[in-house]
Amino acid sequence: MELTRLNRNIRILNWVTAVALVIALGMIFFYAPVERTMGNVQRIFYFHVASAWVGAVAFFVALAAGLLYLRKPDRKWDTVAVASVEIGLVFLTMATVAGSVWGKPAWNTWWEWSPRLTLITIAWLTYAAYFMLRGAIEDEEKRARFAAVYVIVAFVTIISTYISIRILRDIHPVIFGGTLESAQGAEQGLQEFAPGLESTRMVITLNASVAAFSLLYVAWLANRIRLQRLIDQTNALKIRLVARLQGGNA
Amino acid sequence: MTSFNLNNSPFWAAVWAIVWKDLQIEKQTRQTISVMSMFSLATVIMFNFALEANLAAARQVATGLLWSTILLAGTLGLNRSLAIERENQTMEAVLMAPIQRGAIYLGKVIGITLFTLILELILIFVFIIFFDKPLWRPPVLLVLFLGTVGYIAAGVIVTSMTIQTRTREVLLPVLLLPLSLPLVLPAAMAVAAYMFPQTPPFAEVQSPISIVIIYDLLMLSAGFLTYHYVVES
Repeated sequence: MELTRLNRNIRILNWVTAVALVIALGMIFFYAPVERTMGNVQRIFYFHVASAWVGAVAFFVALAAGLLYLRKPDRKWDTVAVASVEIGLVFLTMATVAGSVWGKPAWNTWWEWSPRLTLITIAWLTYAAYFMLRGAIEDEEKRARFAAVYVIVAFVTIISTYISIRILRDIHPVIFGGTLESAQGAEQGLQEFAPGLESTRMVITLNASVAAFSLLYVAWLANRIRLQRLIDQTNALKIRLVARLQGGNA
Repeated sequence: MTSFNLNNSPFWAAVWAIVWKDLQIEKQTRQTISVMSMFSLATVIMFNFALEANLAAARQVATGLLWSTILLAGTLGLNRSLAIERENQTMEAVLMAPIQRGAIYLGKVIGITLFTLILELILIFVFIIFFDKPLWRPPVLLVLFLGTVGYIAAGVIVTSMTIQTRTREVLLPVLLLPLSLPLVLPAAMAVAAYMFPQTPPFAEVQSPISIVIIYDLLMLSAGFLTYHYVVES
């Protein structure tokens, strides 16, 4: 009953997201102007920044879900945390791959072991390890509790990564909440694009892209939570079935 | 609730009791520090082998080697110190005492940090001999100390979880090494800055050192507040 109502809302959400993504993609390719120094390659920017943004939001949601679980152990918060970490990892991977593809023409290398890129790889490993921890614990309640503690501890590294990115010298430019010092360190990237949103159309495209990706996150989260509920329901039915069969034999 | 009065408050009495207990165990068994030092020496020799006795190359990467050795030896120390508690079921006894869980956490962090600092003194000595680096400088020692505190703060909370899982010792480095790298990266940068003959201006190391301190404070608070959920069964 509850699940069917959820289904309809999720279906609407999925369609809205699909349309938003098509619009954002259209804007990236046809509305945004060609960047002066980088040319068409710069269009990766809208995809790259939006993915990175959603990745950060997803890990923050996981932290909030972890805190809520510890305050009041309710399975739904654990589900939200797992779903969010999974999706966050996907978006972080997309941001890294997109950044790497862009790095080749911009820095003439696929990869650079600068603090920022190194720390992002570490953040990826940190959240991948989350699933290793979950996989090693059988008891459901304990798994949820430890996982909640782990997302809180993991977020400490995200905060320190965030600060490091903004105060250590790096080749990568800072888009959100940058400081002057880091901008100086990133002079190579700076010339190419950091204040480089010189045109209003670029800013509008970036915002549209971030909005579309945020919608995609919400849609994925809703679908993933629904999936988890179905899994839980199936497991409960299995247990009931086994109990019924055993009861019948006895 | 907690009173942070240093004199005779039950909270700090509990913390020091835990530290004292760990020191006594170490005095009797001498297991943790000896295992850590032996492992570290083997690691340093292995690194030398990997660098093909190329002393110039070894000198350049010495600070990185020092931190890697500390991290790897640290996982051994953490596993050892917390596994003893489980094997002998001393943790259950400690948990029965009417003390705050945060006090147990702080006690364990202080105890294992002390062991790791002793290991670091040995390592500094070894590195000065092998790689001829000015590691005795007071700022270097300070950064090593700050880095160790943050690493062990994360380590105690993670190890307390991993020793209760199926895969136990195997899981610890997989979880702890990525968690501690955002701390070790700036700490290694700060130590590397002091490896030149002339002392660097403070402005140059200010950023990495402040990141290390922020990480320490955040990790200590996170561990302090969540430890309760990790040890309760």
